[in-house]
Amino acid sequence: MRNEETPYWLALAHLPRWGHLKINNLIIKFFHENKISIDEFFQLSESDWKNQYQLDEKQISDLNQAKSEIASNAFLAESFISQGFEIIPITSPEYSKTLKNNLKTTYSPAVLYVKGNKKILDEKSIAIVGSRNASETALKFTDNIAKLASVEYKVVVSGFAKGVDKQALDSAINYNGQSIIVLPQGIMTFGSGFNKYYKQIIEGNVLVLSTFFPKAPWNAGLAMARNPIIYGLADEIYVAESAENSGTWSGVIDGLRKDRKIYVRQPDTDEKNANHLLIQKGAIAVDFNGTELPRSGDQSNNAPNDSESLKETKQTILFE
Amino acid sequence: MTRQEAEIILQRTFKLSKFYDEQWLTIDKILKGERVLLIEKTGFGKSLCFQFPATIFKGTTVIFSPLIALMRDQVSKLTALGIAAKCINSEQTPEENAQIISDAKQGKIQILYIAPERQENSDWIEATRQLNLSMVVVDEAHCISVWGHDFRPAFKRIINLVKLLPTGLPVLATTATATKRVELDVAQQIGNNIQTIRGNLMRDNFKLYVIKVSSQEEKMMWLGRYMNKIPGTGILYTGTRVDTEIFSKWFEHLNISSTAYNAGLDPISRIAIENGLMSNQWKCIISTNALGMGIDKPDIRFIIHTQIPQSPIHYYQEIGRAGRDGEPCYIVLFYNPDDKKLPEAFIEGSRPSIKKYEKVIAVVKSELLGEKEIMKRSNLKQNQIRVIKADLMEQGIIREVMIGRSKKYEYVRNSQPLNTQAFEDLRKAKFDDLEKMIEYVETDKSRMKFLCDYLGDTSNHTFTNCDNTGEKRITVTVTPEWSGKLQNFWENYFPILEVESKGSHIVNGVAASYYGVSNVGAALHASKYEHGGDYPDFLLKLVLKAFRNKFGQERFDLVVHVPPTQSGDLVRNFATKMAQVLKFPISHELIKSRETEKQKVFENNYLKSENVKGAFFLPHPNEVHGKSVLLIDDIFDSGATVKEIGKYLTELGAIKIAPIVIAKTVGGDIV
Repeated sequence: MRNEETPYWLALAHLPRWGHLKINNLIIKFFHENKISIDEFFQLSESDWKNQYQLDEKQISDLNQAKSEIASNAFLAESFISQGFEIIPITSPEYSKTLKNNLKTTYSPAVLYVKGNKKILDEKSIAIVGSRNASETALKFTDNIAKLASVEYKVVVSGFAKGVDKQALDSAINYNGQSIIVLPQGIMTFGSGFNKYYKQIIEGNVLVLSTFFPKAPWNAGLAMARNPIIYGLADEIYVAESAENSGTWSGVIDGLRKDRKIYVRQPDTDEKNANHLLIQKGAIAVDFNGTELPRSGDQSNNAPNDSESLKETKQTILFE
Repeated sequence: MTRQEAEIILQRTFKLSKFYDEQWLTIDKILKGERVLLIEKTGFGKSLCFQFPATIFKGTTVIFSPLIALMRDQVSKLTALGIAAKCINSEQTPEENAQIISDAKQGKIQILYIAPERQENSDWIEATRQLNLSMVVVDEAHCISVWGHDFRPAFKRIINLVKLLPTGLPVLATTATATKRVELDVAQQIGNNIQTIRGNLMRDNFKLYVIKVSSQEEKMMWLGRYMNKIPGTGILYTGTRVDTEIFSKWFEHLNISSTAYNAGLDPISRIAIENGLMSNQWKCIISTNALGMGIDKPDIRFIIHTQIPQSPIHYYQEIGRAGRDGEPCYIVLFYNPDDKKLPEAFIEGSRPSIKKYEKVIAVVKSELLGEKEIMKRSNLKQNQIRVIKADLMEQGIIREVMIGRSKKYEYVRNSQPLNTQAFEDLRKAKFDDLEKMIEYVETDKSRMKFLCDYLGDTSNHTFTNCDNTGEKRITVTVTPEWSGKLQNFWENYFPILEVESKGSHIVNGVAASYYGVSNVGAALHASKYEHGGDYPDFLLKLVLKAFRNKFGQERFDLVVHVPPTQSGDLVRNFATKMAQVLKFPISHELIKSRETEKQKVFENNYLKSENVKGAFFLPHPNEVHGKSVLLIDDIFDSGATVKEIGKYLTELGAIKIAPIVIAKTVGGDIV
């Protein structure tokens, strides 16, 4: 991508109330079908937008609003670029294929904001997720899965929350593996984190990634919205520990709905968490080493297709 | 909009009747959303080329300018015309700046001046998102180019910003001084079909003279004799800060009205002097080239250089401040072949050694650090660090990042190794420019034509405004009367040691001389490094004279001398003699409680202070308790040692500590 496109992507990627699908469909139209760049798209007349792109008045008004912000976005874009942040639009060959395959047009964010070694996005990857106040057992499991992943040159994707997320990251670093930190905030607000992982970032072992507006501060909503990105970036998903109706819980449910294979640590009988419940809902039980455990007959009879009904029709891959 | 329509608005808004053709040419393009590089001499009216369109546009025009004085000046003029103009700068309070940003977001400001460094400020970045931007102006655009005379790294980011602006948003870059090479560099960097408009740079109201001399003394004598005979008020540019002090003391000695100015002054003094310049408070202001850029005074009647600038473009820029009203003005350049050494040293010293670059790269690779931390870890001077940083950023080896509100430097992963060829090319270009400057001195043809040619303005005008083309030549004659006056001056001129600080009873002291200005330095060096024995008696006489000059008949309770780093009794013996003559008791008891390195090993003041911190010890504190102390040393450099002893003796109860030394070094602060 040309640097000059940055202010345009900043304007297009966060169109209020458009959602990923609408934005992506527009991108498909101008980039793949009409073969023009984003700046050329924004230079089209309103009548072109209306006739060629079948946009309605509300949409045209939204795009005009975005267009009026492009000049002033240049200031932010300059600050962003000069500090070594990069923007990877969905039209770029650098955009994570794993993410695109998993999230499709409906859920793929139009841009990824990153800092660090982008090549990490091409590697095989696993995500380890779980509670912020996980048990000792869950943390040990996390450490072990991160270790196994690092040995197999798989990237560990985690969400930079306390507990399991942090353990996954620290273990991957500890075992000389590679990691993607998926931020619950805009990438330009990660300040002290860049200080902490400076070495790993410049050595190419950590990629920091965010899908939110670069200056957006942390909030609970963004933390929730980040979960599908973590899942989407990973080929395999491991759940160390989840409580019922927690952030992890909704993430797993959402993943199952999207037809993802999700591995959940088989809890001991005396554990008070929802791991077992998730397994009942269709997640796959694994042991300490992440090896799949046979399903007990009891479980397979119980609510077998609970998740089936939530599945969506498969979409074709549109960004290749 | 036609020119006629525009001129009606011009009369209404700016109270001006017409545009010059080149002004209208520029404005017309700006109004059409094009990009223009405008090169016009000082006083042409470049500002109108963006101020006028800015008042036509709906949103806010942002003007990047490196000069706070100029911003202030233009804002007050625009405000007087009823145009909503403001500036954001570091000399205003954060509250003032925040208010202006908030007004801009609400569309209440048409013209907003900011310094390029503002682009590093996250509040500003945050605010820009709500700005309705109508145009971007880059003032003093030559600062973009490393081939210019005043490259500023912060401008690099402004160029990157301009590149990110959408097509159709007008951009104007202006400068009064750009050679062809700089012009092409600027145009290429801004890109996007920028068009260049270049006016003629000739100033026929200048009377240009070169006075060849063979010493600093001859310059001083001529100036002493003729300064008051030159009409009007003006500026005397010297090569160094110390020279501003020496010339101003010399003028003071001769009762010539003057004041000294340099970049090291605090903002309040600087503004006071700038205002004094505007109101002709002094016959002349003696300054380094830090003064004048952006000062809009129409009637500066003379500009005299005691030292040749680095290049004709520096020279043109500096003399360009004279005679904006078009009335005659005197432009004088002194030249002593020895003067070449200073710009040569500047060029040679403008880049630290490659080893130092590598040191900084290694330090930055190891950790994310700020400037001070890099200084500490690499033992390099701040100005060296700044040069290295700028070069490494230019080459994409490090970058500046904001961690919260603090600036840190980050190594760029997979960056190319240091390219030293680029430095070599620049160094060569600078030496070529210096050669050109000397050609200006030596030429027997029109000096104005020489400058115009150099700047790429190929006018065919016939000039008769210099000492080669009709004006009288000036030579200096040394008379016994003036030699005597100068001798008398040197014997009564003693540099002050500025060391006073809060919480310490140390007072400002005095040196007998500057190291290097007279024969004092040579004598010190002979004793210290060439086994020349004790310091000679003439130094004792001179220091005693400095003592009387500064402290009069004041009595001190005790003489203490600085203990040496290595064995050697030079200072001890010297202090003993001083104490004998002054009849003050002396103590030899102050010792070092731990080994210290020689101060000159350390390149920056942090490390110098740390080197001597807590390093002194007096076994019997009663010796100084309640007493006034005369503290003697031979050479005063950063002052860190003297200050540390002052602090220590204060803790022991000394009521006053007054330092006196043989020589004060000229130090690293040149401009």
